[in-house]
Amino acid sequence: MTLAETQELFRGLVTGELPLEDDRLAGCFRGSGELPAPERLAIYRSMYAARLVDGLRETFPALAGFLGEERFEALARDYVAAHPSEHHDVGRIGRLLPAFLRTHPDPDRPDLADLAELEWTRNEVFFAPDGPVVGPEALAGAGDVAAARLRMAGSLRVASLAHDAAALWRCLESGAPVDPPAAVPTPVAFWRRGFDVLHCPLPREEGEALRAALHGEPLGSICAAFGDRPDPAAAAHAAISSWFLEGWVAAVRAGA
Amino acid sequence: MFQRLDLGHGIGLRTQHFARFLAERPPVDWVEAVTENFMADGGRPIAVLEKVRRDMPVVLHGVSLSIGSVDPISVEYLDDLERLVRRIEPALVSDHLCWGSHRGQYLHDLLPLPYTEEALDHVAGRVSTVQERIGRALLLENPSAYVSFRDSTMTEWEFLSALCRRTGCGILLDVNNVHVSARNLGFDPVAYLDGIDPEHVGYFHLAGHGDRGRYLLDTHDGVVAAAVWDLYREALRRFGRVPSLLEWDDRIPPLEEVVAESLRAAAIEAEELGPALRRAS
Repeated sequence: MTLAETQELFRGLVTGELPLEDDRLAGCFRGSGELPAPERLAIYRSMYAARLVDGLRETFPALAGFLGEERFEALARDYVAAHPSEHHDVGRIGRLLPAFLRTHPDPDRPDLADLAELEWTRNEVFFAPDGPVVGPEALAGAGDVAAARLRMAGSLRVASLAHDAAALWRCLESGAPVDPPAAVPTPVAFWRRGFDVLHCPLPREEGEALRAALHGEPLGSICAAFGDRPDPAAAAHAAISSWFLEGWVAAVRAGA
Repeated sequence: MFQRLDLGHGIGLRTQHFARFLAERPPVDWVEAVTENFMADGGRPIAVLEKVRRDMPVVLHGVSLSIGSVDPISVEYLDDLERLVRRIEPALVSDHLCWGSHRGQYLHDLLPLPYTEEALDHVAGRVSTVQERIGRALLLENPSAYVSFRDSTMTEWEFLSALCRRTGCGILLDVNNVHVSARNLGFDPVAYLDGIDPEHVGYFHLAGHGDRGRYLLDTHDGVVAAAVWDLYREALRRFGRVPSLLEWDDRIPPLEEVVAESLRAAAIEAEELGPALRRAS
């Protein structure tokens, strides 16, 4: 058997794609009377599953806590079977879990996909690159303010959640009783202050504005997101000023 | 290409102890960091590692290089590894003699290889590629094994030794893994030590394992077993003063307990070889 054939057989046995009764097993692996080869392969199989479930549990602690050991492990095994790891970092295994939960929703808790997205985004932000930020004085050197563009901090993310998963996450973190799911479209900002990962729900308009900023739109377009407010200019000024104070802005570039 | 360093006795750097390493310099000579846990460009892990590196030598120890896989070596992985090596300037860089990915799928395990000429040619070529890329010797660790292959034509120690001769790489000799594999696969652990050239050994791993009755499981979740300490003494008598690294990866206790286990390694070394010379810090 070539090295490639051996690894293909081993992979199939470890992942469970091939049964431990596969005819080729006896010709490839050496066992003993005390511990036959199939039982030896079963050790690797159980470790494979356990390692990936553990990896997901580390990334999604609130989801795991909410579902409980048995339900989370069942979800994790279904997910891993559908989305095997394709990256050397086991921490990346959960990248598609939010999407998996959207296509395989829990009938009683459709908000779990949003909870997973919240936890995944927090995980991304935890490892995001560090970098300097600027204060509002940086606007002074940008010339035409409406044409200026903001370069946002590398750790800043904004997610559009269909439910108020931030409230669910807060309940799970504090041990408070969990409310029934509420379908409330909620933009949520994520960022890092020092080593601490933070997130907060945003008003709809500010979520749109922040998304425009992350796409590199000029400040004039960003401010347009507040057009429905009674005093759009004041609302835009308040929101964008807070971005500087929170450390969300890495640089201001003058417009072309 | 490979040269042993006088590092002393270290422990694995684990998240649970980050705060202690940030606040003080724990009484260990060096630390080993799991390479993949520090490949991200930002955040707390790499900041902690940079602080620790200012305090003491760091060895980077990978789990996902997959040196024995028939897949192409991941360019992304090599890029990340080279960048981290440049950033941290580790004393040594190690990984495992194993494979863990196939057809683009990562199994996140340290799976054994058949010890054949085909595998030796394959692994030797990839070790050379990695060493050229990072500009230094790679050390490869003997894995814990639960199964062996009918096609193997040489022992693990013969395979590792041949690999060292061909590529100039070194051996990270995991004493616990020798014991675990010897019990599981039915070979003599002392014969394993006798088959290794002392010049090839870069450092030792020491760790706890679990006894599952019909086999031993490499768990890293407790103190080092008495039989492994005995094998460590045998290794010291054969290889001389080799740096040791105490691994504790599951059910991780307070730092003091991990350090105490590492100090036990130092005490056993002193019993076998006499007191070590002072190290500059």
